[in-house]
Amino acid sequence: MRSLRVLSGVLLATTMMPVVMAAVLADVEIPSDEASLQRGAQLATSVCLGCHGFKYLRFGNLQALGFSDEQFDSLRAGQDLDAALDSYTPADVARDLYGVVPPDLSLMAKAREGGPHHVYTLLTSYYTDESGVTDNHLLPGVRMPDVLGYSSAATPGERTELERQALDVVAFLSWAADPKVEQRERLGYFVLGYLVLFAALLYVLKRRIWARLG
Amino acid sequence: MASTLLAWINRRFPFTSFVRNELTDYPVPRNLSFWWNFGFLAGFVLLLQIVSGVFLAMHYKPDVNLAFDSVQHIMREVEYGWLIRYLHSTGASAFFAVIYLHMIRTLYYGSYRAPRELMWWSGQVLLLLIMATAFMGYLLPWGQMSYWGAQVITSLFGATPMIGEELVLWLRGDYAVGDATLNRFFALHYLVPFVLCVMVLIHLVALHHVKSSNPSGIDLAAKDNIPFHPYFTIKDLFGMVVFAVMFFAVVFFAPETFIEEANNVPADPLQTPPHIVPEWYFLPFYAILRAIPDTLGGAAAMTVSVLIFAAMPLLDRSSLPGGARYRPVYRAMFYLFVMDVLVLGYLGTQAPEAWVVVVGRVATIIYFSIFLLLPWVSKIEERWLRRRGLPTALQATMASERRQKASGV
Amino acid sequence: MADTDEADAGRRDFLTTTTTIIGAAGAAAACWPFVVSMNPTPGVRAQGAASLPLDGIPPGAIRTVAWRGKPVFVFHRVPEQIAKADSSQGGKDPQPDAERVQDAAWLVVVGLCTHLGCVPNKTADGWLCPCHGSVYDNSGRILSGPAPRNLDIPPYTISADGTLMIG
Ligand code: HEC
Repeated sequence: MRSLRVLSGVLLATTMMPVVMAAVLADVEIPSDEASLQRGAQLATSVCLGCHGFKYLRFGNLQALGFSDEQFDSLRAGQDLDAALDSYTPADVARDLYGVVPPDLSLMAKAREGGPHHVYTLLTSYYTDESGVTDNHLLPGVRMPDVLGYSSAATPGERTELERQALDVVAFLSWAADPKVEQRERLGYFVLGYLVLFAALLYVLKRRIWARLG
Repeated sequence: MASTLLAWINRRFPFTSFVRNELTDYPVPRNLSFWWNFGFLAGFVLLLQIVSGVFLAMHYKPDVNLAFDSVQHIMREVEYGWLIRYLHSTGASAFFAVIYLHMIRTLYYGSYRAPRELMWWSGQVLLLLIMATAFMGYLLPWGQMSYWGAQVITSLFGATPMIGEELVLWLRGDYAVGDATLNRFFALHYLVPFVLCVMVLIHLVALHHVKSSNPSGIDLAAKDNIPFHPYFTIKDLFGMVVFAVMFFAVVFFAPETFIEEANNVPADPLQTPPHIVPEWYFLPFYAILRAIPDTLGGAAAMTVSVLIFAAMPLLDRSSLPGGARYRPVYRAMFYLFVMDVLVLGYLGTQAPEAWVVVVGRVATIIYFSIFLLLPWVSKIEERWLRRRGLPTALQATMASERRQKASGV
Repeated sequence: MADTDEADAGRRDFLTTTTTIIGAAGAAAACWPFVVSMNPTPGVRAQGAASLPLDGIPPGAIRTVAWRGKPVFVFHRVPEQIAKADSSQGGKDPQPDAERVQDAAWLVVVGLCTHLGCVPNKTADGWLCPCHGSVYDNSGRILSGPAPRNLDIPPYTISADGTLMIG
């Protein structure tokens, strides 16, 4: 009966579910240029790494982002090239502090509907109401503090700057979730070009051969 | 040298005659359209899945603590691991796309009818094996969708009268989907494709016995058959490369199309993701499951909705040859069926609000009615067509069939 | 008529050949990703180095360290052992002891018998392989038995502070 309860629970959960939050994600273009990725990597290692890990990345992987030697050395702060990007806050400490272990960010850009747009919207949806309570429009009650300080930005200029930072971080998260994207697409053009050519040849050949039947 | 070797072999093994009879000179109706390409494509995708699967298995670890990480290891550390995994994950969807088109061809042209019933039934077994393989494979990445998909589907067996509870426990080897489940799914996911290969062989032996059907719906006279090589080697190859263009476009440029976001989150037995949806190829059946308010009834309806295809040769009682070509009512039912399946598929993606449930029930009733009414519909249609006078093309076709029978071919 | 037919056949042949070659090249190229997927991953390659501080190893003692999944013997030889090793060229694979060490006190060899890869056991005068009885001296040189070569020497350096770095 237990499994039946699980089943009906799950079926019921999908039944009762309101159409997944209508919250609109910001419609922004996620950059993928080297400069954004580098700034994003710096923010991610200096800010996000305080609570989150990127356990599928090693410091050596970050070299692919084209840092100069000095930049890279300051980024990795003496860490071994083979060391994973683990959070500075151990999981149990984080649980005590926030009530949850902050999720690993290696795959975050592929792990939510909307991917990078979800994360961007999350980071730029913090606000402080009249009573001085800070919350988030996208995920009300989220236990992650306003790490970029978006809710306390006083001027539009400050906000724009923080939005740019959020974009950079999100660019980095996208790369972290899919570091082979460049290699993949390069190979993809090559393979598709080959296949189209081959298909054309086969088509001509097929026409010739079938012409024999009259 | 080569010819001496060939002669040596041919004395002991019918190599040349096999190649000639079953491959190069194998007679094929000349009027086959590209709808007859999908069997070959299915073979190609099967090969692709087995090869990519074997290479994935060299790096994958079927252990709840390691499985998710090992997939990321494949994606990031193994040379071209990302390519091999995306081939495999996209290949699963491609397999169903190809198989469903193959079935649609068969239904439209009535290729399941005598003497091809055993082809259709071996095909039905293949479909079941592919579904089982895909279902078990989907657990292996050990993401949230993997886990909850397996949890829900194995729970379905709990609806079996009397032994349900024990059956579920036995299937999982654990109280919930767990390490034992993952391990056995991996073992079977690796095994079943080889059983599938044997079934494919049976499917092909049957094919080479009854020969291909063709758009006209009756078997052609010998003069209208042409040798497989070079005509169909080139045609099938061309079709395969066109398919490959589409397939690789997904693999290289949209490889996450068929990977749910939630499956990039490691399995968490304590939290169901907000929106669980099966893979697209199970959606119509899932919609049927949900349309029935009772668990046992839903599970039964879903099972029957897959198995009922096997009844087609028995349900279609028309004595007019072929499928939809010369039979307007059958054709209308065919299109209704395809549309109904698409509607069900769409409903499968939706959170079941009131309207989804209502439409789902209607679509489910239509789904089964089409099958169950076919015996009467096909008879009535035939009577109506005969009264109206059969089209000349059909009369000619039937006459040539009679001549063929009379001359004992 | 016959002319055009032949010309046609010639063209078809050229087309067939080109298409076949292109197809075969594509099929061969498609094998490549699968072949290289079996290479060691960066994580495995990173294990290609091992290090060991030498100051804890007393004269006459041996430490075994794992390097690329293989045992490496680090043998702190005493003067008599060095002198004895120096006085001969070994057996069937003659080599002066000086060529086999960087610092005569430290013999560093891969601890796998060059016959079939078993790990030889230490004896007073060298090593004896338990599998097929190959005998090595205290320079790791083969003296008797089926092994064809002396024990292999891994690439290593000994740093000024007395740390052995293998690989
Ligand atoms: C002070 C600690 C802290 C820092 C620094 C931090 N986070 Fe978080 N983050 C959390 C916690 C705690 C959660 C879990 C929130 C919850 O589940 O309510 C979280 C959750 C998230 C989520 C998941 C939200 C969801 O949809 O479930 C994302 C995405 C995220 N953080 C991104 C970031 C990024 C990007 C940075 C760096 C700019 C960052 N975080 C820095 C603590 C932190």
